[in-house]
Amino acid sequence: MERRGFLRASGAAGLGLALPACRPLQGLGIPVRVHQPGLVEGHRLRDGTPLPTPTRELRTGVAILGSGVAGLTAAWRLARDGHDDFLLLDGPEPDGNAAGGRFDSPSGPLLHPCGAHYLPLPSMESRGVRALLFELGVIKAEPFSEHPRFSETALVHAPDERLFFDGAWHEGLLPTEQVNAEEAGQHRRFLAEMADLTRRRGRDGLRLFCVPKALSSVDAEWRQLDALPFRDWLVARGYSAPSLHTWLDYVCRDEYGAGPEHVSAWAGLHYFAGRGGHAANAADGTVLTWPEGLAFLTRGLRARVPTARQQAGHALQVDETREGVRILCQDAAGAFLVHARRAICAMPLHVAARVVPHLRDYGFDPARHLPAQAPWLVANFLLDGFPAEPPDAPLAWDNVIHGSPGLGWVVSTHQWLRAAKPAHTVFTAYRALAGQAPAEARRQLLTLTGDELLELAAVDLKQAYGAFELWRRTRAVHITVRGHGMAIPGCGSLTNPGLTALQAADGRLLFAHADLSGYSVFEEASWWGERAARLAANS
Amino acid sequence: MHPPQNAAPPPAGNRLPDRLLILSVFIVASCGLAYELIAGALSSYLLGDSVLQFSSIIGCYLFAMGVGSHLSKYVDDRDVLARFIDIELLVGLIGGVSATLLFLLFAWMAAPFRTTLYALVFILGVLVGMEIPLVMRVLHSRQASFSELVSRVLTFDYLGALAVSLLFPLVLAPKLGLSRTGFLFGMANVAVALWTLWYYRHEIPRLRSRLTRGALVMAFLAGGLVVSEKLTHWAERGLFGDEVIFATTTPYQRIAVTRWKDDTRLHINGNLQFSSRDEHRYHEALVHPALQTLPWARSVLVLGGGDGLAVREVLRHAQVERVTLVDLDPAMTDLFTRNEYLSGLNGQALSNLRVTVINADAGQWLETHSEVFDLIIADFPDPSSFGLGKLYSVPMYRLMGKHLSARGVLVVQSTSPWFAPRSFWCIDATLREAGFHTHPYHAHVPSFGEWGFNLATRQPGYTPPTAYSVPTRYLDAETTRLMFQFPPDMQRLPVDPNHLNDQRLVHYFQQDWSNVVR
Ligand SMILES: Cc1cc2nc3c(=O)[nH]c(=O)nc-3n(C[C@H](O)[C@H](O)[C@H](O)COP(=O)(O)OP(=O)(O)OC[C@H]3O[C@@H](n4cnc5c(N)ncnc54)[C@H](O)[C@@H]3O)c2cc1C
Repeated sequence: MERRGFLRASGAAGLGLALPACRPLQGLGIPVRVHQPGLVEGHRLRDGTPLPTPTRELRTGVAILGSGVAGLTAAWRLARDGHDDFLLLDGPEPDGNAAGGRFDSPSGPLLHPCGAHYLPLPSMESRGVRALLFELGVIKAEPFSEHPRFSETALVHAPDERLFFDGAWHEGLLPTEQVNAEEAGQHRRFLAEMADLTRRRGRDGLRLFCVPKALSSVDAEWRQLDALPFRDWLVARGYSAPSLHTWLDYVCRDEYGAGPEHVSAWAGLHYFAGRGGHAANAADGTVLTWPEGLAFLTRGLRARVPTARQQAGHALQVDETREGVRILCQDAAGAFLVHARRAICAMPLHVAARVVPHLRDYGFDPARHLPAQAPWLVANFLLDGFPAEPPDAPLAWDNVIHGSPGLGWVVSTHQWLRAAKPAHTVFTAYRALAGQAPAEARRQLLTLTGDELLELAAVDLKQAYGAFELWRRTRAVHITVRGHGMAIPGCGSLTNPGLTALQAADGRLLFAHADLSGYSVFEEASWWGERAARLAANS
Repeated sequence: MHPPQNAAPPPAGNRLPDRLLILSVFIVASCGLAYELIAGALSSYLLGDSVLQFSSIIGCYLFAMGVGSHLSKYVDDRDVLARFIDIELLVGLIGGVSATLLFLLFAWMAAPFRTTLYALVFILGVLVGMEIPLVMRVLHSRQASFSELVSRVLTFDYLGALAVSLLFPLVLAPKLGLSRTGFLFGMANVAVALWTLWYYRHEIPRLRSRLTRGALVMAFLAGGLVVSEKLTHWAERGLFGDEVIFATTTPYQRIAVTRWKDDTRLHINGNLQFSSRDEHRYHEALVHPALQTLPWARSVLVLGGGDGLAVREVLRHAQVERVTLVDLDPAMTDLFTRNEYLSGLNGQALSNLRVTVINADAGQWLETHSEVFDLIIADFPDPSSFGLGKLYSVPMYRLMGKHLSARGVLVVQSTSPWFAPRSFWCIDATLREAGFHTHPYHAHVPSFGEWGFNLATRQPGYTPPTAYSVPTRYLDAETTRLMFQFPPDMQRLPVDPNHLNDQRLVHYFQQDWSNVVR
């Protein structure tokens, strides 16, 4: 939909985006498409819209409600283990936060992420993720060894990161070379401390911090850090360097959607110490990425689920009956019922809170246990050629501006094996709306015009290239608004009894979603999906 | 362009001959547009990115014209005619020399080029912007009907613009070149000044000095017209050292061909690609050590090498039935197919019936096709950037491997083992990492210095040829034997292969060449 069409349609559909249309950019005629996956469906549930009467019925063994990473992983595991009595209900957004999109540029199709874009080298404990990567050819050999060999097309190509600091671009994201000796010393001390924590184990013999989070040590001494904001921990440890704080603020917003003052110290450290994966053919800390981001993985998962097991539509209400689970669903053709023996609830918890009326019976009280969720913007800019770059600091895959409210941008064509720069490319700019309370930010998002959204999303690109150069090259923009983008691992998240209860649930309903971990990454969603599939298959 | 409020009533009976009026306006308008087009064309030619260059030049010019027409109201009514003539002379002079001046400037001093360009465009725009309002005032003070005047002046203003906008791209720029076109239009402006001067000779103060000035400017521009060709060649020599016989900027690169006596050289983005004096050494070494050992080879793939010189050598081998050349830039392969002189260098190789020329990105082409070849020649530019480094990476060589028949051979131009030893040995290590057995060798190409190649095979065991079945000027048994030997000061270095995630080769290359004092 073109920008004007969108604004009209969104006004008409009551999406809430204010109509008084595009001021600054209208003259440039850049088509902007705004996508708000799940917003209409979610708000209908929230507003208690009367439930429709079903006109059809389906029967299945296991109903998987939601097709994000968790739901897809569950379906893939079931299919792989030879089960075919299951149904994967897509929900409003197939692939969820790991969805991808594409532009049809004049020089051909260009894929891009609409959410997740990279995967770190998986930890030893992320066996499910390793198995998936091996099956998709991303790990070439010995998937469960310390140092698996990864496909070079997926390992991020050099130059991978650069930082705009003090008016110039520098390699890497932490400006150690650019700050004074005292600050640089703190950088080094911090990294050394993180490297040490990566190796440390608790009294139970488990790693202190581990992805998946469920396999982390429960050593009480370290779990205390769940009660302390990350920033307070930093200050207490004598980390005062402004450049270090700015970087960590970026890291926390990038990973958790909120700054170090909102994130628990346990979560802050977990980011640095939780993975520790290695590769035979890349340095530690290298990441895996694809032009379409992690949609490469969701596509791979989906391709391994028979299409007959995939079902469009979303759940409106889930009830348990004597025989099993009854799910009222809706798709374009109307309402229908799904009868299943068991169901895997793979939708976000704020949706499950509406769809599963008896969620409290499982020990989760939405009013008390629902984690705060950070709103995100993912903006894809289709560009004519590439903006000019300084010769000594070429465009990297990830480009970040020190101290900016934005989270930089990644380049979708970076992994292409090409002799020349392609004629068109896509820059994907990220922004977590972390400046205010999440609910407040969501309310504001609803009142923004398309132009205002674009202004928010383009903040880094405009600073790096100037408005003239950016708009001159921009052919089209896709903005994905994720009002409930990810759970924020604030203080108390680790001990949240509601989450603990859902993690352990093993009734007619099983739960699988990154939200169960209290923070959102591919490996966590995958972990819960795999667990649910295992339990569902056993019954 | 509003009429002066205090214009004197037109003296009755003093009517300007219509034809002179029409011609002046027409010429003034043509010249105005011509300078704008020249500046736009020249800057896109020299700086690339034509859309940006053209639109910013036009923007600047139009704005300056607005300033000019605003300024024109400060010209006193009594001076209008004299000022008009002065301005014509000035426009003629500045506009006339603009193209040549910018060219010379670009050749010798890169830094102030943009500033000068826009300053020139602005000054010209201001002057040109004053012309039409002044003409109108001149005529208005002599002619009764204002509306008729406006319509007639504007008609010919726009007609003049139309004429030039068609003539410029179709005739003037291709036939005369930008420099001479500039001088020509400059002379036209001065001609307008001169005949206006003559027609109103009784009303103009200091007629004699103005006439002299006009004549001088005219003579200067005529002289410029004659020598401008020489001047621009001279300027390009400043850029390339030799006279440029062909130059173009494509979306991918800037191609320039220079000639000095019997030495023709190709430069891409300012880097020497070959010299016709010794390119046979490079291309014989690139092709024959491999192809001579493949009497059964039927198909050959050449990646890069749009100059067709490697293809020329391949075609000497009668056993080869098909040669596929994949080069990014159609301008490059067209040039070496169509240009009589340059296609002579490659013996019309690119028009040979055995040859298929494909203009595509080598990486994309290899990814999307499945043909298999008995010999692949990778003749890419040196790995001086992360983009080019990808062409020398493990995955790229694996990809090439998929297009190689079981006993096929891959040859890779591998930069200089003397000037860039780590880069050379890194390419060797990369090929081995990709599963090939490598057979590095080197040849002396005087215009490049010591140059290196890697011959890669799937199976071990390659023996360099001891005789050649095709005519060669450089290679013989002894030269070939020495090529595969590396003296003690060029021994293999322990370096890492070029993986995409760290691109060691690009770092090696930048360090190696920064150590070379040239
Ligand atoms: C902007 C952004 C960037 C990210 N970047 C990264 C990254 O680079 N690396 C990384 O590892 N992680 C990243 N993440 C996190 C990662 O994307 C998520 O952890 C992961 O995709 C979550 O998968 P999920 O299955 O748990 O949930 P979701 O993706 O939320 O999927 C939920 C599914 O439930 C469905 N659903 C919703 N309502 C209903 C209903 N009523 N009935 C049925 N189904 C329903 C939806 O259609 C969807 O398919 C990012 C997240 C965001 C928001």
